[in-house]
Amino acid sequence: MTATQTADIRALFGAGADEDRVATAHFLAGSLFLALAGVLQLLALFALRFGNLFPISFGRLESMANLAMMLGFLVISLTGGIYYVLPRLTGARLWRKELALIGLILTSTLVLLDLLAVVLGFGGGRQPLGLPWWLDLPTMGTLLIPAAVTIMTLRRREEKRSFVTLWFVVGGVVWLALLGAVYLVGDLPFVNSLAHVYSDLFFSAGFVTLWVFTVGSGLFYYTLVKELDIPLASRQLAAVGFWSLGFAAAWWGTAQLVFGPGPGWLDGVAAALGLAFPIGALANAANASVTLQGHWEDLGERPGVLSGVIGLYFGVIVAVLASFASFPSIGSVAALTGYWEAIEYAALFGVGVLLTAGLTFEALPRLSGLDMRSPDRPRSFIRLTVIGVGGVAISLIAAGLLSGYSWVAGSNSAAYLDTGEGWAAGAGAAEVLLLFAFGFGIVAFLGQIAYVSTIVGTLFGGRPVPQEVLVYGQDVDDTNE
Amino acid sequence: MTQMSDLSAAADALGVPESIVQRSAAARAAETGMTVDEVLAAWAGGGAAPVSAPTPAPAAEPAIAAPEEEPAGEPEAPTAPAPPAVPSVPAPVAAAPIIAAAPSGKPPVLVGKEDHPLAVLVGAVGLFVAVFLVGLVGPALPFDEPGARSSDLPYSELALEGQDVYLTAGCGSCHTQMVRPIVADVGLGGVTLNDSNQVLGTRRFGPDLSDVGSRLSGSQIETIVAGVGGHPALSLSSTDLEALVAYLVESKTAVPGEGPGEDSGAGTEEGAGTTG
Repeated sequence: MTATQTADIRALFGAGADEDRVATAHFLAGSLFLALAGVLQLLALFALRFGNLFPISFGRLESMANLAMMLGFLVISLTGGIYYVLPRLTGARLWRKELALIGLILTSTLVLLDLLAVVLGFGGGRQPLGLPWWLDLPTMGTLLIPAAVTIMTLRRREEKRSFVTLWFVVGGVVWLALLGAVYLVGDLPFVNSLAHVYSDLFFSAGFVTLWVFTVGSGLFYYTLVKELDIPLASRQLAAVGFWSLGFAAAWWGTAQLVFGPGPGWLDGVAAALGLAFPIGALANAANASVTLQGHWEDLGERPGVLSGVIGLYFGVIVAVLASFASFPSIGSVAALTGYWEAIEYAALFGVGVLLTAGLTFEALPRLSGLDMRSPDRPRSFIRLTVIGVGGVAISLIAAGLLSGYSWVAGSNSAAYLDTGEGWAAGAGAAEVLLLFAFGFGIVAFLGQIAYVSTIVGTLFGGRPVPQEVLVYGQDVDDTNE
Repeated sequence: MTQMSDLSAAADALGVPESIVQRSAAARAAETGMTVDEVLAAWAGGGAAPVSAPTPAPAAEPAIAAPEEEPAGEPEAPTAPAPPAVPSVPAPVAAAPIIAAAPSGKPPVLVGKEDHPLAVLVGAVGLFVAVFLVGLVGPALPFDEPGARSSDLPYSELALEGQDVYLTAGCGSCHTQMVRPIVADVGLGGVTLNDSNQVLGTRRFGPDLSDVGSRLSGSQIETIVAGVGGHPALSLSSTDLEALVAYLVESKTAVPGEGPGEDSGAGTEEGAGTTG
């Protein structure tokens, strides 16, 4: 390992660069969308158990929660993280930072419009976002902006040495834009039902794997090394993590249709290639763990880093569970049930939020010159998120397996025939578990509120600390040539 | 000291271009309520603020003391009027592109290797395309010769409008229209083939509806949609309701002689709308 350093800039004096203001705005907007997503997801969990007591169906509420979470929180927040690290790792100014800001405004506005469309009954019913094609098109179009800004900034880089984070960032933004394009394919009029549902699953699984896990892990590598001032254990392990996640891509989405109308060979291929998912997640978690050797006690003072580490481990569990259910033997019971709902929920509301917090909690003081007044709130966030999201996931998995087995039992007992409902006793027990899921959902929501209050509280009432300001080797012309 | 000379002096002291010092001073002034001149004077060393000589300071060492952490009575407090609260100025450590040791003297940590991250882009796109072709395009293509059966149901115009209502109302989030050739799905209707024109769905919190027309009558479906039996009450216009019911009633996939429609006729509505 060569003893040189990338273009990372350390503490200078106050007054943030424009780039950093753009990143901060992304973090703030993302946190507000998290609060919205939390409310909607809680209502969705309520509607899942008490569907007849709520005026909006679970289907619509889930789509709305996904919109706020995936596009509102995870796309915006992680994009902000990318804009935070790019100038620091490339030594180049952000390409067209005005475009980056416009991207934030466009995405936020469109997500709000999307939510309105779904709640008013103009949705298209597609999962996971539930939008009609005329909203899918502009919404997915905004995903091109982070890719354009990132790639063009990289083209102008001054620093020729790449820290591993740059791979994850480049891969993530390109994959996100491509995922958007694939999702739009499902809107084409000649696409049949099977391609339609594969397209939806490809997008859902790809978003988790190629965006949340990839970009979240990559940005956390930067946070971990920079905040603790310790070198990364292994560049090679990071490469294994990156490419494995890319390889895992969307297989666990495809695997949800095991024994479905798709070709039989796909079930085996999806199960085998889906193993790349836990390998990628494990490689990143292991890399972070080895990096932290001898520094674990530092995590007590670094709630952001702690959150990221827990997010990585949470990711391993999610990836293993997803891979596990991709095998036909397990899939015959778990497919179509709450099991997969649990995987998606844990990936978005658990891994996604924890990894994002791993970055934002540590980046905000550098960006704004303001630090959180107390580490208690972020610690509460971590605790509540792990308990709440973990509880929801376990409840949904249990409910899903119970449903799956009850279908088999119902089928064998012929009680199934008329209702398609499964074994009544099993179905009843699953309903109790759905009630537990709602209860844990409340805990998870409190965690989300703790995240939002940490971000907002830091920005509007934080304790002054040294601010990191981008200074370039020469007085870089601010024009975006 | 004039602003210009302060600017030059501050730039010299900090070792960064004047334009950046100017911008930083303006932002600092806006944040602290001071004037730009006062900030520049402080940074140039001529102000009353505690301006220390620039010394390398890593980020971990706070250069700006938090107000609430400052001791109430500083022993060396000047007798002159209290200076404006301009923070001390840590030195610029380095400017990009940096190929330099960390200020602490420790080995640098954010080390990289000379490569081209945009090359990753090519690999990432290639990998994505491969996965896309194998995981989405391949399986979605028709692969069977036309056989005796088909899952492409002959829906009426009204039923196809009802399919749109089914989608818009979010029914597909809870109901599948997909029967698999496994034990768990025995009795639900004919196994769904890849030419299906139903809304396949990916979750089955409620019953599978691919063959619901063989189990329930139109009036029974209307009752369930209205909110009976634990099903959420859907607020649909009469036109939409009529279309939705038509779609579900025409959803009949059972193979003659094998399906529930043949065996049991119109089934009960018991539990048909509950979750689970």
